[in-house]
Amino acid sequence: MDMLLTEDQLSLAETVRDYLAGTHGPEILRRLDADGNRDPAIWQGLVDMGLTGLLVPEAHGGLGMGLVDAALLATECGRACLAEPLVDTAFVGVPWLLAQGKTEQLADIAAGRVTLPLPHAINPWVADGEGAPLQSVDPLRNLFASANDNADPYLLDLGALMSAAQLVGLADAMLHQAVEYGKIRTQFGQPIGAFQAIKHQLASCAVAIEFAKPVVWQAAQALQDERASAAVHVSHAKVAATDAAMLTAETAIQVHGAMGYTYEVDLHFWMKRCWALAGAWGTRAFHLKRVDEAVLGGTLPIGPEHTFA
Amino acid sequence: MHLAYTPEQQAFRAEVRAWMETHVPKEPLVTLECREGYDQHVEWERTLASGNWGMVTWPEAYGGRGLDLIEWLIFEEEYFRAGGPNRANQNGIFLLGPTIMEFGTEEQKKRFLTPMAKGEVIWAQAWSEPGAGSDMAAISSKAVRDGDHYVITGQKTWSSRAAFADWGFGMFRTDPESKRHKGLTFILFDLNTPGITRRPIRQLHGDTGFAELFFDEVRVPVENCLAGEGEGWNVAMATAGFERGLMLRSPGRFQATAKRLVELYRKHEAEASPAAREAVLQAWMAAQAYAYNTYAVAAKIMAGGKIGAEASLNKIFWSELDRAMHRTAMQLLGAQAELKRFDDGSVNQWLEGYIFSLSGPIYAGSNEVQRNITAERLLGLPRVGAG
Repeated sequence: MDMLLTEDQLSLAETVRDYLAGTHGPEILRRLDADGNRDPAIWQGLVDMGLTGLLVPEAHGGLGMGLVDAALLATECGRACLAEPLVDTAFVGVPWLLAQGKTEQLADIAAGRVTLPLPHAINPWVADGEGAPLQSVDPLRNLFASANDNADPYLLDLGALMSAAQLVGLADAMLHQAVEYGKIRTQFGQPIGAFQAIKHQLASCAVAIEFAKPVVWQAAQALQDERASAAVHVSHAKVAATDAAMLTAETAIQVHGAMGYTYEVDLHFWMKRCWALAGAWGTRAFHLKRVDEAVLGGTLPIGPEHTFA
Repeated sequence: MHLAYTPEQQAFRAEVRAWMETHVPKEPLVTLECREGYDQHVEWERTLASGNWGMVTWPEAYGGRGLDLIEWLIFEEEYFRAGGPNRANQNGIFLLGPTIMEFGTEEQKKRFLTPMAKGEVIWAQAWSEPGAGSDMAAISSKAVRDGDHYVITGQKTWSSRAAFADWGFGMFRTDPESKRHKGLTFILFDLNTPGITRRPIRQLHGDTGFAELFFDEVRVPVENCLAGEGEGWNVAMATAGFERGLMLRSPGRFQATAKRLVELYRKHEAEASPAAREAVLQAWMAAQAYAYNTYAVAAKIMAGGKIGAEASLNKIFWSELDRAMHRTAMQLLGAQAELKRFDDGSVNQWLEGYIFSLSGPIYAGSNEVQRNITAERLLGLPRVGAG
């Protein structure tokens, strides 16, 4: 029994974090917003990092890593508010193809030549697909109307898990932005971050994020291990991550005051991605119902001796 | 990350389960906060010690079993699964014990730890003073050196277990010229030393679990000082870290409450609101989240890491979770919630638990203080008055 993320996992996440921090800052989001949303050069950078092949088996030109690794990197994608469809294609689409034994596209995906739109019955749109365009509140999200008759439960779990992982990264980033603003914005002769009215709200966000993260890692491991209860853990992760991110989004805009209500402050990109992912791959109500069926319905053993049931 | 127990861990779980099923009292004990209940709980500490379960993580030389933190978590899970009573000696085993392990001399370890693990000496804490609650650096009780003794004069309050316990620990000002965090010394004292007067304080529930302590020229041997003179603040911060962090509130306690809440909900489902249903699910989710986090922290410590200001996040989380779970139970009980005993004569444990849960966000450093620590030390926000 070991709930520790390994040094390798943490250092890979840190490498990707540093890379995105250096190449995918707020100025990039503003440029993409003004000019086309997607940029082949950014995509190529992700391909060169090996990220499109993260879950592709080595025999097909990938790195052959697991869902916990992918969830950690999805968190980094959330932190950077990455617009390219990396998470969908490489962290949701690839394991779904692998589960079906479909390997013919994997080499192309790893090499970055193919992206995978993922229509699913749970979503009333498909992201980065084809069809009549829909407009998302998130200016960097490309949505299309789509006939979604695929109700595959594993694809749903993968989509929900990776949304949850992005949401904790988004939450981290929004908390960071609010903290930094609280340090520099001065009113009543001191930085507003010195006021307990600000501190305590931000501390509550830190608590929510701290206790959402291990739920996400645990869910990723459960799905990786094909535990019978994995779907419940994924739903738990989606609810916990959504709640932490929504709390942090609302708190962050409040801390930014009227500046937070403007388009020019970067916060809105993260906040809108958070709103979008909150309802994607199963709403809060959908996931809460799955937890309900397990916990109150009695299909999952509960109590102190069943921590990892 | 590897989320499966080894065969050895499973065997250990089976061993704990078998012992607990045989030994945990079938009827809940009377509350620890009154004389009768205190005596019952001390008896239970000694029963635990007879099975060598007093403090499983301590070295065998000090009455423990030398087990690691994962085994401790398994022990705690089984303890709460079996409905094990509250630990009368929690101030000792969970707070002072680890502090002595870190700061004590070999002589102090031998003298204090084994009787603590065996339940032979029950410990009270003496943190707060009337003028030093959340602001613990405002402590004014004095300890004046006189030969090989300190002479203590002053007052402590809200001292848990002090109404009935044997020994206490706290901080005293040994340098009369000192201010705030400096000049404080961490001292252990026999509560029956001449000059100590205990005045039990009647708590919200009507019983007297904590007490005021009056010190009138109390002579305490110098060898009862933990770490050096003037080192009190550092020692106390470590103790507070144990209190807020890993040990004091293991996840099993909250997972057991969440399970009982699910069972209570099933009984009251017909008249329960959708909001109460969601609150029950939240209770299970939050208790599980707390457990995952604790396993992660345990793994980190076992890999050589330390728990720092993150302990404040823990304390906020478990105390507010506990209050929320008991509040939900009170809502589900409806008009029965106010009854101290139900029709069948059984004690309304939810009411007792709800009352106790209201102390959680206050003791061990109020949650307002924890949010300040979180904001300043983890998030890096400026201290109050910075400009």
